[in-house]
Amino acid sequence: MLSNSNTVSKLYMSVIDDVIESVRELFQDEGIEDRVLEDLRQLWESKVMQSKAVEGFMKGPINPNNFVLQLPANYAQTLHKPTASIVIPAGQTLQNFTTKANGSGALATFSLPPGVSYPVQIPAGVTLQTSSGHLYKVNVPVMVTQAPASNRILPQPIQHVMEPREQVAPQGAVASVAPTAVLQTIPPPAADTYTPAAPSTTLLHPSEPQPVPHQQHLFLGQGGALQPPGALQPQLTLPAVPQPPPLPTPAPVTPDSPGDDEFTLDGIEFSPQPLDMSQPSPFAAQLSSGQACGGQLGAGREEVGQDGGGSLPVNAGEAKAQLVEPAKLEMDLMRDFNYNDLEALQQLDGACDSTSEEEAEEEEVEGGAGADEDEFLGMINAEALKALQEAEGSSEDDGSSSDSDALDDAVEEVEEDPLNSGDDVSEQDVPDLFDTDNVVVCQYDKIHRSKNRWKFYLKDGVMCFGGKDYVFSKAVGEAEW
Amino acid sequence: MKIDCVCTSWYASVRTLRPDSLMEANNDVALDIIITNVVSVFRTRCHLNLRTIALEGSNVIYKPEVGKVLMKLRKPRITASIWSSGKIICTGATSEEEAKLGARRLARCLQKLGFKVKFTAFKVVNVLAVCTMPFHIHLIQFTKNNRPIASYEPELHPAASYRIKNLKATVQVFSTGSITVTGPNVRHVAMAVEQIYPLLFECKSTMR
Repeated sequence: MLSNSNTVSKLYMSVIDDVIESVRELFQDEGIEDRVLEDLRQLWESKVMQSKAVEGFMKGPINPNNFVLQLPANYAQTLHKPTASIVIPAGQTLQNFTTKANGSGALATFSLPPGVSYPVQIPAGVTLQTSSGHLYKVNVPVMVTQAPASNRILPQPIQHVMEPREQVAPQGAVASVAPTAVLQTIPPPAADTYTPAAPSTTLLHPSEPQPVPHQQHLFLGQGGALQPPGALQPQLTLPAVPQPPPLPTPAPVTPDSPGDDEFTLDGIEFSPQPLDMSQPSPFAAQLSSGQACGGQLGAGREEVGQDGGGSLPVNAGEAKAQLVEPAKLEMDLMRDFNYNDLEALQQLDGACDSTSEEEAEEEEVEGGAGADEDEFLGMINAEALKALQEAEGSSEDDGSSSDSDALDDAVEEVEEDPLNSGDDVSEQDVPDLFDTDNVVVCQYDKIHRSKNRWKFYLKDGVMCFGGKDYVFSKAVGEAEW
Repeated sequence: MKIDCVCTSWYASVRTLRPDSLMEANNDVALDIIITNVVSVFRTRCHLNLRTIALEGSNVIYKPEVGKVLMKLRKPRITASIWSSGKIICTGATSEEEAKLGARRLARCLQKLGFKVKFTAFKVVNVLAVCTMPFHIHLIQFTKNNRPIASYEPELHPAASYRIKNLKATVQVFSTGSITVTGPNVRHVAMAVEQIYPLLFECKSTMR
């Protein structure tokens, strides 16, 4: 699932792009302004975001890398990041390490100390591993910030706060500061390191790692005002060379939203991504503004959700810590970067995958079925009897011919037997066992049934499961009825 | 011979006969007649739109190439073939009562889908039962003894088939002693078993 959200995002974005482009001419021919088309596009994108079916839109290709970076549960603060190296400033536990900017290199494992707080700058080519074990590859230099850079839907506490900030800034480019910088929360209840979220003096550069005191609320800073906890870090305005100010305060954790992490992609154009509200309880409980949203840009939400299970306990433990919980957030962010070409995509399909979750499955019905009326009632009987399987041996065939005679006799004595409107005819015991919203819309290669065992060989479909969309080119499932 | 009916469960849904009416005292043998399938038909007296049923009904399989919809029920585990003419064939029940109940439930389902169905002309058309003799049977001898009525073609089918015309029942006899009986209703099936037992007993082979 790692790259699934990314895949879906990209796919949807490409669909939207294609459609908009292809109707552009039509719109112009009709005399409709381009603005209308842009509005349509925005509406469409926002609807997709809102539906939380996708994790958010990430754009740009990503190249995987060999480095494995172990992200601790809590982030300490800032990383200094020279262009090609990443340095995590220390608190006592912070370690410095350098990584190659791109490139292959030996697999090196570094562990971020627990005290790391956001934002954290991760150079390209780093593979992050959450405490829950999920691996995420960072293909482009990334800065994990706490501010939600995109219009993510924040978890409840912050929702209202986040909404207005949707606009997020221009995508983008490394040079663009504003959007990515977002982060900031509303004055946290008790933050030692908290700095008032004032729009601040510091420009948060996307590429700059900013230590961010996470407090419950995140707010989008215009131009990224990020306040390092407790200390104002000198902000690097230079995109190219972000220098993360050393982070003074590692340890004390203010109740912070673990999920505040947010990755911003250097040089990667990203659009504001809606924060996912998909992580409900743990974060909500923790009050982390960023948590649920993880501030990720398009981080695979489902990943978070999935990690949520594993990472939640971790997070819960560290909820107190003001530092971000790496688990979800980073991973989510990383996921976006991990998107390679399609070849590298993880496939959701696979043998023996049980799609029994799907509640309803829509198949393409072959054309309009011609209604073949059976004109001959008498023959129907014989045919039907023959067609009925489960006949033991040929006994049924033998019986059918003799039965048709009997049936003809019976036809005359038609008796009206009132159904009593269902008084005696009881309803189906379980009318609709569970009418969920999990739907798969796809094409089928083959649907097979034996007694009550079903096998599905599907292709080219979209599955909406748990509110999230998954796209597949092949799916195989088994179910028992 | 006394045919007793014991409720054995071969599948979960199998039932056995309880023919109290069938009493014959030849030996003291208890035979289990297990009903495995009851086929019934009924009419809804109204045209049914198969597409509607296929799209809106639950637990349905649409077979447009044949022109019917299969609807499966769980409670009495039955499968019904529904034609657009309103004729419905219901299979899979394990007793006549169950067949009727299932057919009514099915008609109720169709009613809920919006069709003005009437439950008419319900009839059990076929009952399939199995029975096991406590002895093996010498099929060749059996066929010889019952020449015109029994037929045995080992190259085609390993069982000898015996048709009881007046009962309109067919009995397939296997050399292991198992027999399958199909008839228009349960009563006939029981009678057929009774009728054929002595004939089988004559040809029993002492291998078992």
